[in-house]
Amino acid sequence: MKRSSKADVVIIGGGIQGCATAWQLAQRGVSVAVLEKDTVSRHASGVNAGGVRLLGRHLAEVPLSIAAMKRWHTLDNDLSGDTGFRARSLINIAADEQDLDTLNKRQQLMHSQGYFHEQLIDVKELRERLPHVADHCVGGVLSLQDGYAIPYQATLSFKRAAQLAGATFYEGQEVKAIRKLGNDWLVSTHNSEFEAPKILNCAGAWADLISVMIGDNVPMSYSAPMLGITARMPHFATPVVGAVSRPLSFKQFENGTVLLGGGAKGFADRANNRTRLDYSLMAAGARNAIEFFPIMKTASINRMWSGLEAYMPDNLPVLGPSARSENAWHAFAFSAHGFQLAPIVGEIMADLITTGGCQFDLEPFRVNRYERKVL
Amino acid sequence: MPEVKPEMTASDRYDIAIIGAGPAGMAAAVIASARGASVILLDDKPRSGGQIYRNVDASPLDKPQVLGPDYLRGAELTAAFAACSARYLPATQVWHLGDNGEILCSRNGATLRLTARQILVATGAMERPFPIPGWQLPGVMSAGSAQVMLKSDGLVHDNPVFAGTGPLLYLIVAQYLRLGVPVAAVVDTTPLANYFSAMRYALGAVREPAMLLKGVGLLNEIRKAGVPVYRGAQGLEVIGNQSASGLRFQSGGQQHEIVAEQVFLHQGVIPNLNFTRALGLEQHWNPGQLCWQPALDQWGQSSVAVISVAGDASGIVGADAAERNGRLSALNMLARLEKISLAERDQQASADLQALASLNAFRPFVDQLYRPLDSHRIPDNPDTVVCRCEEKTLGQLRAGFEMGAREPNQLKSLTRCGMGPCQGRMCGHTVSELLAKWRDEPVENVGYYRLRSPMRLLRLAEMSNFTELSARDALVDTLATEVKP
Ligand SMILES: Cc1cc2nc3c(=O)[nH]c(=O)nc-3n(C[C@H](O)[C@H](O)[C@H](O)COP(=O)(O)OP(=O)(O)OC[C@H]3O[C@@H](n4cnc5c(N)ncnc54)[C@H](O)[C@@H]3O)c2cc1C
Ligand SMILES: Cc1cc2nc3c(=O)[nH]c(=O)nc-3n(C[C@H](O)[C@H](O)[C@H](O)COP(=O)(O)OP(=O)(O)OC[C@H]3O[C@@H](n4cnc5c(N)ncnc54)[C@H](O)[C@@H]3O)c2cc1C
Repeated sequence: MKRSSKADVVIIGGGIQGCATAWQLAQRGVSVAVLEKDTVSRHASGVNAGGVRLLGRHLAEVPLSIAAMKRWHTLDNDLSGDTGFRARSLINIAADEQDLDTLNKRQQLMHSQGYFHEQLIDVKELRERLPHVADHCVGGVLSLQDGYAIPYQATLSFKRAAQLAGATFYEGQEVKAIRKLGNDWLVSTHNSEFEAPKILNCAGAWADLISVMIGDNVPMSYSAPMLGITARMPHFATPVVGAVSRPLSFKQFENGTVLLGGGAKGFADRANNRTRLDYSLMAAGARNAIEFFPIMKTASINRMWSGLEAYMPDNLPVLGPSARSENAWHAFAFSAHGFQLAPIVGEIMADLITTGGCQFDLEPFRVNRYERKVL
Repeated sequence: MPEVKPEMTASDRYDIAIIGAGPAGMAAAVIASARGASVILLDDKPRSGGQIYRNVDASPLDKPQVLGPDYLRGAELTAAFAACSARYLPATQVWHLGDNGEILCSRNGATLRLTARQILVATGAMERPFPIPGWQLPGVMSAGSAQVMLKSDGLVHDNPVFAGTGPLLYLIVAQYLRLGVPVAAVVDTTPLANYFSAMRYALGAVREPAMLLKGVGLLNEIRKAGVPVYRGAQGLEVIGNQSASGLRFQSGGQQHEIVAEQVFLHQGVIPNLNFTRALGLEQHWNPGQLCWQPALDQWGQSSVAVISVAGDASGIVGADAAERNGRLSALNMLARLEKISLAERDQQASADLQALASLNAFRPFVDQLYRPLDSHRIPDNPDTVVCRCEEKTLGQLRAGFEMGAREPNQLKSLTRCGMGPCQGRMCGHTVSELLAKWRDEPVENVGYYRLRSPMRLLRLAEMSNFTELSARDALVDTLATEVKP
């Protein structure tokens, strides 16, 4: 006999999006069950680079990202938690004239849309803010509100706040089947069944599988972006750092360790929760870091890892209702930049589930945006 | 900038790569290279020999005989290894092994990448952590590290106190004494009750009388030298503020304090899990040896097709068994590569299999006799440091457990215990046992940290300098070429 439980909403996936939505719903008095196949925050949400970035967002995402950023600045208070958020600013470095040209075009576009949070900086200001930057760098773009948080802590802070507000989390519960039972959804795992009128798919790199169970086909892919962390170094960089046209991204934490990213991807084996790193790409990333910051020659790598992340072809998430089924919603495929969006994703999904609408234009994030009208 | 070849072809691969030039690795190389397999052996030390036979042929000491007859016997094996056709890269730190046969290592300031059809992990043992109050202070060192300094650099400290249990501890003390270095005291934590409880394994032990006598002989040697020996000691505590100034303990119903600026601790060795964990090999908790070890068949074949494990990395077996393990693994890998038939493998293996059965019968006796005290493995003072890299105390770990961390990786993410330069390679066993105690469950259920590459701190400059090493290429670098010892 399977154990059976009831809730108003079943959320599939205990990553940061599932936790943030559970918190929002529970605060509104909705009963929520979050089902997680492993442990909460075990995947992308717990092992990502922690970048809380508004800079350089796709135009469709800018309104969401602005709203999320506002919330990050008060989040520890709101959650009574410790997300480790630090507003340290983010600078994308221009290495040559072509980069400056790219930045100027972006600036015009942003201003034409009424967005003024990205500031161009000249080489003098670049050096003031990043004294260790290499000589060949010529300028950059700055976003002052940006920063970083500690992913595992942040996700668990959402989870704990959700639990305090009444949400229930079930770990080690992999959703194997979803079907309609009258007006309700019946969600089954190996040993339990959960019944709820409404369900939300927050299944990260496995979300296409859940999507299919609900009736929606999506051209989602998944991959394994890689990161490395160094041993402690003397303090040399306050802002989070990226580059306009190079795979470079790093941040130095308060304890002196430096997190190196840059978007290089390893190999993903999602069926076994495993990833394999491509060390030759990590080596190329190491060369980039040294080229932009010669001090990095003295750095020592302590650990390298990767996480499983879901992508859509346009690198924008799927956010909104199912196209095929009533009372089912999706929030997935954040394409390696979903951590920052979590506070607003939680609100959007809770709004959709409880009121049917939300204050943002979700058209660019439709689940069926790739469905062709004719064959 | 070095070009990275996209994909290596079959002939760029080695048939067999062996990591570690201790008795297990050297013995494997000798057998494997004699049967037409292309073999490469990588070891991080400048010379072959492993922990026990370190520098056996180039000792910095005037009279290496003081290190004992076992040490000198190693010269035979290192000579056979030197004469074999296996390629040998000393001073090469392997920092990644993949289940696809990929090997990444640091050599001479650069990263080398090579691939092999079969990999033998023969990386030996490490000393068991000894988490007592004050063990993080300068002046405290493991007895094994003290021995490494002695064997490699001829360096000794005057008047240290040696504390703990196990044959290796007595051996190192004896090696010190034979060199005429004064020793303040030996604080033996072997519980007197162990002498009785071990007796039930004595039948197995009498099959190896030579080994049984070895430990007894060493203890007698120490006593004869006039060094105070405290038996059945417990409640060890290093005293000192900025650095160690002595050791406090109970023995014979009394509290003792010994003044010493050097405290050398040792309570046995445990398998070096770095690779076997990072490779995701199936592991089990060995309740007799109180350590994790990979699940292997009698040939050392693991749950991952290309990986075998031999010697102390497979479970604590000792030098003699390590050598035999190494030969068995080599024979099996040769058979897997179809260089020899299964019948030939079995025939060549029979003497070693037989000898191992006898050695294995001796093991439980030693394991029981020198079983370290619970209180010296599983700390209970909230101020005791568990993770020395990040200076995390038992109290802080307990707080993480209270917040919901149930297994080592969650505890690490919450408390940073195990996030420092050693990546939990030191505190891993302590954390597994602590969580098991708090959860009131077997250690087997608790698991271990997810270890990841690199296996040691890797300079970014070293990593960025990336070259492929083909089985066909000669290695061109400025390091002393492939000197066999
Ligand atoms: C290496 C890396 C670096 C990144 N860096 C950044 C960054 O700097 N800034 C940023 O904003 N974003 C970053 N991201 C992206 C960010 O981490 C993700 O977009 C975000 O964490 C996605 O959250 P999620 O809840 O959708 O997914 P996840 O955290 O993957 O959670 C999904 C959960 O669903 C569970 N699940 C799946 N299937 C089932 C099932 N059938 N039943 C039950 N449970 C199931 C999974 O086990 C998983 O725990 C990075 C990602 C990676 C991998
Ligand atoms: C500190 C210490 C001292 C010991 N002293 C003695 C003693 O005096 N007498 C005695 O009887 N027994 C001693 N032992 C036990 C003895 O080591 C073993 O019984 C025996 O040597 C095991 O042989 P092995 O081949 O399995 O491993 P080992 O002899 O330990 O050989 C393993 C080799 O692998 C190398 N290695 C490890 N990791 C890497 C890497 N990532 N890259 C490249 N190379 C690597 C090591 O440097 C070492 O050379 C000692 C053990 C330890 C830990």
